[in-house]
Amino acid sequence: MPLSSAVITFPGSNCDRDAQTYLELITGQVPHKIWHNDQIIPKVDIIIIPGGFSFGDYLRSGAMASKSPIIKEVLKHSERGGYVLGICNGFQILTEIGLLSGALNRNVKLKFIAKNCHIKKNNENFFNKKIQNDKILSIPVAHNEGSYYNSEEGLKSLEDNEQVAFLYCDKDGNSNNESNINGSLNHIAGITNKEKNVLGLMPHPERAFQDFHQSQDGQLILESLIS
Amino acid sequence: MNNDLIKQHGLTLEEYGVINDYLKRELTIEELGIFSAMWNEHCCYKTSKKWLKKLPTTNDIVIQGPGENAGVIDIEDNDAIAFKIESHNHPSYIEPFNGSATGVGGILRDIFTMGARPIATLNSIRFGELSNFKTKYLVNAVVKGIGHYGNCIGIPNIGGECEFDSSYNYNNLVNAMAIGHVQKDAIFYSKPKTLGALIVYIGSKTGKDGIHGASMASDVFSEDDEDSKRPSVQVGDPFMEKLLMEGCLELMDAKLIESMQDMGAAGITSSSVEMASKGNLGVEINLDKIPLREPLSAYEILLSESQERMLAVILEENNEKVKNILKKWQIDYEVIGKITDTKRVIFQSKDKIVVDLPVDIIVDSAPEYDRPFNLPLKRKDKEFDLSKLNLEKCLNNILKNINYSHKSWVFDQYDSTVMGNTINEPGLSSGIVKIHNSSKAIGATTDCNPLYIRINPEKGMCLTVCESYRNLIASNLKPMAITNNLNFASPLDQNIMGELVLSINGLKETALYFDTPIVSGNVSLYNQTNDEPIKPTPVIGCVGYNSNYKKIISNSFQKKDQQILMIGNILSPKNSPYFLQDQLGLTEISAFNDICDPDFELEKKHKNFLFDSFDDNLIESCNDISKGGIMHSLIKMIKNELGFSIKIENELDLFVECTAGYIVVISTDNYQKLLDKAESLEVNIRNLGMVTTKGFEINQSKLNFNSIYDKYLNTFSDKINN
Repeated sequence: MPLSSAVITFPGSNCDRDAQTYLELITGQVPHKIWHNDQIIPKVDIIIIPGGFSFGDYLRSGAMASKSPIIKEVLKHSERGGYVLGICNGFQILTEIGLLSGALNRNVKLKFIAKNCHIKKNNENFFNKKIQNDKILSIPVAHNEGSYYNSEEGLKSLEDNEQVAFLYCDKDGNSNNESNINGSLNHIAGITNKEKNVLGLMPHPERAFQDFHQSQDGQLILESLIS
Repeated sequence: MNNDLIKQHGLTLEEYGVINDYLKRELTIEELGIFSAMWNEHCCYKTSKKWLKKLPTTNDIVIQGPGENAGVIDIEDNDAIAFKIESHNHPSYIEPFNGSATGVGGILRDIFTMGARPIATLNSIRFGELSNFKTKYLVNAVVKGIGHYGNCIGIPNIGGECEFDSSYNYNNLVNAMAIGHVQKDAIFYSKPKTLGALIVYIGSKTGKDGIHGASMASDVFSEDDEDSKRPSVQVGDPFMEKLLMEGCLELMDAKLIESMQDMGAAGITSSSVEMASKGNLGVEINLDKIPLREPLSAYEILLSESQERMLAVILEENNEKVKNILKKWQIDYEVIGKITDTKRVIFQSKDKIVVDLPVDIIVDSAPEYDRPFNLPLKRKDKEFDLSKLNLEKCLNNILKNINYSHKSWVFDQYDSTVMGNTINEPGLSSGIVKIHNSSKAIGATTDCNPLYIRINPEKGMCLTVCESYRNLIASNLKPMAITNNLNFASPLDQNIMGELVLSINGLKETALYFDTPIVSGNVSLYNQTNDEPIKPTPVIGCVGYNSNYKKIISNSFQKKDQQILMIGNILSPKNSPYFLQDQLGLTEISAFNDICDPDFELEKKHKNFLFDSFDDNLIESCNDISKGGIMHSLIKMIKNELGFSIKIENELDLFVECTAGYIVVISTDNYQKLLDKAESLEVNIRNLGMVTTKGFEINQSKLNFNSIYDKYLNTFSDKINN
């Protein structure tokens, strides 16, 4: 089944074109380009909130974007059960909207991190069901605020409801201090909402799918949705 | 006009005399400010112009040479590439975070002003020795500043250099290069055409930052100046630049702009004068219309270097459409004047004309000096005692030297994969990106060997340019054209003037021989503090091209049991300056022998041999050889635990420098075919050994792969963090 899609651009988004290319090349369908001040998103299967520095990230990352007019459409879409994928700044925006629980803090070493990292599937959901349990994905990260944080109860609730989608690990699949590149609680790289139709992910799958990329593992996420 | 005031504005009394004779009247203070901004080295190249004119700047592929915001070259079909390198040295010493950040911002504006979407940046940064009290602070802040700006605006950083040397102790260098892609029929220029067209101001409001930045950049520092000059450093806002970039590209896409000029050094003064001069027209601007951040005098508005601002010329009928697009991007926009036919630059403020100058006195009468210079002394050939050196010592010297270490501490703070088209990330022999929606690949490299150039500016420059070619050729990219950033100390010193003249000469010879024109560039002089000059540092930015990204050759080992070969002329230790400096500890320049002659024919022969072998799919991976010799090149090729086992008669040959040197890795099946080809092209191949898993073996002595490679990876962070 073809997957129809839309990508939202905020002032300061800088991975919107990358997300459009990712959707177009894998699903074969050109995504709708949505501006943050638009009032409507056409009915689609998936909305991507791309990475970047929405509104310069001068307030808390994603805080300004969460007040944009288009957000009410994202909420409607997710209530209907439509897929939402927030990547990097998109993940931060989803936590600011309240669609995902927790927050993304400054990286523990207080430096921007841009490198290839390894992640593995944790709880199964729509976005990772095609990924083998023992598969180690290699996907780039590029962020300043990616250290996942939640309260003790919040964390427990995430784990109880099997909402932890991806964990940071090393190339052999071990999650340890060194593989936890930004100091995230419990090595968390990506989480879903309770219904599991909304995924927030710090790594960038849209930078790991073409033949010249360092890895093609990013395509597994969209392919999970297509199947 | 008071002599002190004239001198404070960086003009000599002779220069002021020229202006006075022409105008036959005293200047207003605003006009003095304009000459101060336009007649300094940074804007009018008064010392270097005579020599820069000798550089080759055209051939079949050059669409735009020097003189515009950026150079543009043709890469077939309707595609073109705009690129330029620019320095932000002085601001990056005074206030390293903002100084380096705005360096990136400035060079990106130069690119999108041409209508090109930026697709990559590179940075060539140089610092003093690590033991200097300020160095670690500067490295941290400069890298953070570059990353902050580039990451936020979302242009991948694909490479560059980072070097440490005591000559930069009080003058660190920050040179930023940017590359953009533009359709050939959609290139924009700064030349206005239509009489009566509107001049519009686009972007951030004007504030006090950067006033006299351009003349500061042309001063010699004294150490206690640092604090007093800090208000002259511009503050960057990459978010605003992102909006400005998207807004301007959308305006240009909709063909609503006639011409555009970035307000860079010397702000609105320089951009409006350049527009008038290029169009052979006049401009009339009302300074009361300029969007201001704070109350400013006319003088301050003229000289402000506030960032993220553009000057554009539009037809009146497009005014509404332009306004609407910029409103969407929330960018300040104001009509501030019009194009006239007076060939004069007129600025009004509060119903008074504060500047009324003919364009030609500012531009055409700008001073041009033929400064005296010295040729370097002839050197006597000396012998050196190498008896204390052996494999273990030499290897250790390389591994513990930050200049040879892996630079991931730097590169991991730069987003290198945003835009989704990165093929080669930083740290490889060149950075490479794919053109969006196309199979074309563009590679780029920045290079300089200041030690070579200090010893022999002309030959040293030839060798540096050849090295930048090799960086591209090793990945199967054809070197196309060059941008340069000439960083030198004070040209009033005849020896330093000699370095400038002769290195430009070396650049000219090499570029002519290999037909790689110089299409853009920047000159940064007076890089000295307390009479301590920097080493001459003319940085070369070279752009390479392959029409099919699938033909790009990796710089890393691919598979075990592949065969490692080398081509190139291994130099003797006494003619390898970096070997002598880093292995024997030579520091005094007089202690070195002259450097070897560049061998253009051999470089060309090897280039042809490699391109031919790449075409026949005979080569699996390839890397160039530069300082640190064969050994350093091999270490850089290690990937995924693939190391090497090699044999060589004289172990010191692994560490000395080479000319036209490359490591070539092939599948053993292709060995004979490659030998045949080498023989037919008269290329000498040397068999070194094999790729092995976790191997670090030289002449059958097995070294510890993990500990050596970890040291190579971690030396940089160990030294910076401790």
